[in-house]
Amino acid sequence: MQKVDRPDVFFELTRSMCPECRKIIDAQIRLRDNQVIMRKRCPDHGWFEALIYSDAQLYTSSLKYNKPGTIPLEFSTEIVDGCPHDCGLCPEHQQHTCLGIIEVNSACNFACPVCFSEAGPGFNLSLEDVERILDRFVATEGNPEVVQFSGGEPSIHPDIIPMLRMAFDKGIKYVMLNTNGRRIAQDDAFLAELAEVRPVIYFQFDGFEERTTWTIRREKDLLAEKMRALDRLAGIGLDVVLVPTLERGINLHEIGAIVKLGVRHPAVKGINIQPMFHAGRHIAADPLQRLTVPDVLKAIEEQCDGMFLVSDFVPVPCCFPTCNSVTYAWVDGDTVLPMTRFVEVDDYLDYITNRSVPDLSGEIKKALEGLWSATAVPGTDGVSTKFSLACSACNLPSLDVADMKDHIFMLMITDFMDPYTFNVKNLMKCCKEFLLPDGRQIPFCAYNNVGYREQVREQLAARGSRRGATAAATDL
Amino acid sequence: MQIHPPPSPLPSKGGGDEELPGARPSQRRGEELRPSKGATDEVKACCAALYQNDYVRLLLGDSFHPGGEALTRELGQAIGLTAAGHVLDVASGRGTSAFVLAGAFGCRVTGLDYGRQNVAEANARAHPLCEFREGDAEQLPFEDATFDAVISECAFCTFPSKADAAREMFRVLKPGGRLGLTDMTIAAQKLPPGLDNLLSVVACIGDARPAAEYRRILGEAGFERFVERDESKHLLRLIDDIRRKIDLARFASAIKKLDLGGIDLQAARETALLAKQAIENGAAGYVMLTAVKPA
Repeated sequence: MQKVDRPDVFFELTRSMCPECRKIIDAQIRLRDNQVIMRKRCPDHGWFEALIYSDAQLYTSSLKYNKPGTIPLEFSTEIVDGCPHDCGLCPEHQQHTCLGIIEVNSACNFACPVCFSEAGPGFNLSLEDVERILDRFVATEGNPEVVQFSGGEPSIHPDIIPMLRMAFDKGIKYVMLNTNGRRIAQDDAFLAELAEVRPVIYFQFDGFEERTTWTIRREKDLLAEKMRALDRLAGIGLDVVLVPTLERGINLHEIGAIVKLGVRHPAVKGINIQPMFHAGRHIAADPLQRLTVPDVLKAIEEQCDGMFLVSDFVPVPCCFPTCNSVTYAWVDGDTVLPMTRFVEVDDYLDYITNRSVPDLSGEIKKALEGLWSATAVPGTDGVSTKFSLACSACNLPSLDVADMKDHIFMLMITDFMDPYTFNVKNLMKCCKEFLLPDGRQIPFCAYNNVGYREQVREQLAARGSRRGATAAATDL
Repeated sequence: MQIHPPPSPLPSKGGGDEELPGARPSQRRGEELRPSKGATDEVKACCAALYQNDYVRLLLGDSFHPGGEALTRELGQAIGLTAAGHVLDVASGRGTSAFVLAGAFGCRVTGLDYGRQNVAEANARAHPLCEFREGDAEQLPFEDATFDAVISECAFCTFPSKADAAREMFRVLKPGGRLGLTDMTIAAQKLPPGLDNLLSVVACIGDARPAAEYRRILGEAGFERFVERDESKHLLRLIDDIRRKIDLARFASAIKKLDLGGIDLQAARETALLAKQAIENGAAGYVMLTAVKPA
């Protein structure tokens, strides 16, 4: 009898969780047919396999973009039970908080069948809660750059405007509002307040077809409302990042049209595409058919008439490099020129390959690191300045940042983990944290998968009902 | 034909003499195009016209020679250069490779180039181990059996009479001396369609041949013990550099920092992509070829 070879490459061993019982278990990363598969076994629930990256070559080659993490000024927890049970951040976490997210409520004015935060009645943070959170954020980060207000649906929180204002007052440079846009489309007074406070709008936008919005949002005539909100935001000169949730068989075929809308709409300065992940409320899906970063990149290349190519994207080094890929382009009308085609970003963001490129400028490297990070907020002066600086790598004459501002466009793919794809290795370097009233900062994918969300929600809801303070707010 | 170093096409912060930071440090502008006297008038005219265009200088000026200095050093190793040797560099341009070899191996290097100005500039560097002479690769102005080694980089493919050039290199080598070439190859006699234009000419594929044919020509001149090494990755890198510069020029033009004067960048970009495909599917390539003159 002949011995036979295994059908795939055993690439590494890591830790994940059982999708049934959430117990933390060992997991193998295997390379099979140029795909990256996670394979794991729960003693109680058996074997599981999930696709985590559909291009093994891209996966392994992206590992060089792994930038050494930064240590926050203070940690908030101690190591007791080991990752991912000590969040956070505990002293073993490998990155500081680039992007802090505050979920100000759990209620929403939509009723989507897909919602990782399982929006519904529950809690409202008070302005005092938010102040405590922001003060803690300043204490751990020194000069935190970006905070994002989320929910639930944060725009329906009665104190959302003072909360946004407070974040600016605490010295945070970029304040984002993560919203479905309904209140922006409908509420003139709210729009006027936004025009004064001027957050960047992180704007849920899944596509144009009724089937898409019905499947993901249980909404039929959503497009007119979305376009109205976008046009109103353009009218007050606010910058918008479109945030499509993307899934095979639902709206993957719409990504080209979404990108083109983003490139052309005056309010839109970037797009952050998030493959659908199966945490919280979600639609059942085959874990081996999961949409991953390379699938999205390929769909973009196929559907955008050459505007963006797979090769235009570079992994984001601040978190684990397989979690995000991003590119920046100079855009004018239908002219789209991705920066990565003329600046050798690779040379600057390679932290592992021992290459002797003696004339790399530290200033340019820093600018590129700023763009290739979770703190980059498209439409802002910060991004334009860094873009211009990076162009000096090509010996271009100094560029007028003010002229550039409206021409710079960001296109990012962020792949969040679910219990099928959960990888403790990625988690340990996560730089997007939920900021909690008790002072903890919990990495995005730990919060959604490990049980923190449920625990915190219960605590906050119990507190709310004791105080009776949130009764008025939940009427919205 | 003389190739002048092209001026900096874009205004630079510190004056016109800076290297483009994006370029390989090994590649200096205008250095690597080393035509010999034998280059046809057609090629000459074409190169001259191209080089009169600032914009083409921007695209190609500093990234002509696949592999750069690193590949020159590897070539030196492959033919076993030592401090005791005396090397002839045929089509030595402004002397970069000669200086590299003299620096790396401590050998004496004589450079030969058809371009008077190239020779003058190379001699002006006054390197103690290097001297440069004007002359024709097909009629080398040296006695028989003068050199321990002969090299020629990205130039053999441009010689109209390759047989004459091969015989001459053989003649000036001492018995047992080594020959080292790096050069463009094409899989068949003819270039893939779409590549017989601007980019192919300036990238010296005008009269490139399959590696086997180089071996045949050199073999007929008397060379033996051929070793062939595929170096096509350097060519891919060069095409990437060119493509990157095309995109940079599009950007510079879009932000109104560069006047393209009606040049079709999109076409240039497509040619670069065609060239890349040709290299990837083996239709074109770059090779290092070493051989020995029998003792």
